[in-house]
Amino acid sequence: MYEIWLAANILLELALMNWPLVLAYALVLALLLILALRARPLPWRRRLPVALVAGALVGILSMLSVPGLIGAQLSDLAYWVDWANLFAVSAGFGAAAAALAWPLAAWQGRERFE
Amino acid sequence: MTRNSREHADSAHLHGMDRRSFLRLTTASALLLGINSRPADAAALKTAAHIVIAGGGLGGIALANRLSRELDGAKITILDRRPEHYYQPGYTLIGTGVWPRSKVVDAVAPLLPAGVNWVQEMVAEFDPVANSVTTDSGSKIRYDFLVVATGLHLDYAAIEGMDTTAIGREGLASVYNGPDGAVASWQAMAAFRDKGGEAIMTLPATPMKCAGAPLKTTFMLRDRLLKAGTLGKSNISFQSAQKNVFGVPRINEEVLTRWQALGIGVEFEHKLVGIDIGAHRARFVTPAGEKLERPYDFIHVVPPMRATDAVKKSALAWQTGPMAGGGWLEVDKETLQHKRFPNVFGVGDINGTPRGKTAATVKKSAPLVAANLIDVIAGRAPQLKFDGYTSCPLIVREGSALLIEFDYEGKLTPSLPMIDPLQESWFAWLMKVQLLKPAYFAVLKGRV
Repeated sequence: MYEIWLAANILLELALMNWPLVLAYALVLALLLILALRARPLPWRRRLPVALVAGALVGILSMLSVPGLIGAQLSDLAYWVDWANLFAVSAGFGAAAAALAWPLAAWQGRERFE
Repeated sequence: MTRNSREHADSAHLHGMDRRSFLRLTTASALLLGINSRPADAAALKTAAHIVIAGGGLGGIALANRLSRELDGAKITILDRRPEHYYQPGYTLIGTGVWPRSKVVDAVAPLLPAGVNWVQEMVAEFDPVANSVTTDSGSKIRYDFLVVATGLHLDYAAIEGMDTTAIGREGLASVYNGPDGAVASWQAMAAFRDKGGEAIMTLPATPMKCAGAPLKTTFMLRDRLLKAGTLGKSNISFQSAQKNVFGVPRINEEVLTRWQALGIGVEFEHKLVGIDIGAHRARFVTPAGEKLERPYDFIHVVPPMRATDAVKKSALAWQTGPMAGGGWLEVDKETLQHKRFPNVFGVGDINGTPRGKTAATVKKSAPLVAANLIDVIAGRAPQLKFDGYTSCPLIVREGSALLIEFDYEGKLTPSLPMIDPLQESWFAWLMKVQLLKPAYFAVLKGRV
């Protein structure tokens, strides 16, 4: 339980330490959602695979680049815990990318949908 | 433990109106996520007590945040002149070229809770009989309860010829000497890395903070030489003033095994007693009194450490036993309450308890000190007992580390039992360079 509490606090502090980035992401996401929601009806479900593919690509890119971004190399990952954590971090980046891609993809598909 | 649900979302990194706005936004998000809504066991304890916290490092600020939240009506005074807070666990990263200086320096003011009286003076004298402290400007401040969180004294003066202003030149490094010392240490290491040569790494005989730092610096120096292609014409020798290189036997064996494989030589019971910086020569003495002189191209000096003068000269220090020589604070190792003055507690490096301290020690002990102090204020005996928990991400090269955690007994106590503390991992490196500083700030703010 304490470890969950600690992890939640680490995430909060990371967000505070990187607040310009977090704020920029939130603004872009909000803008895309507003854009998409104002153009209803949109093919949200049909365009979901596009967002998932975009998220997967970013996730794969993250898996390849995150170790190098913090001064390590992929060859430093020698323990299952390393791979599990790299996967979790990359999944987070992938999910963030998918969240941006989904409204954009739905908005781009609006004409054909209409 | 009494605890109210009021939390401060102040951040050391956020200043100015736009940041405040963002802070409100994130605090609101945190509230939605439940991060700022720890269960309230009970209402804050009402008291008119005056609590003085001597020292504004991690332990002092964490206590100020916790006590201001968990006590209602208390007067809390924190004494420390320094306007900047240094994230000391980052010194080894600066000193080995991983981080810039800016990553470890933050303003103190935003870290202190509203209502706490911050006196920007240092404690010069403790008088626990009269329940008062005297600051270096001569002001006398009376207290009902005292938390000693002064940190320790780096006794560079005990090394004949040592000059901290020379760190960064003539192959002289010492990552302990503040952020500027760490930056200068990297300059010395980088210059040595490019040429190679004879490197001496030292370890003092005294109790010390972050006992892993000399080991990390040694591992990283070898890694830097390897990557620069100068390892072949270099020799690294670790000169320990003790009979080991780390106090926890299992970790000591692990490090020595790794160093043997990496070609790092170790000599024990060689205490650094003097240095001729211009001539690049270090003088050591053995317990038998034998004097040795060693030439070097690069030396990492770890100074002997002792209690601050104010504690050492006061009645608060151990009067007998192995901790008396260094003047360390005489606290019970479990409750962290002073053994002779029950209205006094200690937190952090100043405590005369077994094992070296790290930020992780404060993470575990600051909530306990707050709870036990509140027990004493409420007229109860202290309830919680500290097991000596300490942890150290022991860097073995850039990109990999061991995540070791242990207690007073020297037992390995991994927080996540499925992770082998002796298995080097990228995860431990990730913790060291990305995740521990956020955790540290959560400790400062009294949340974890």
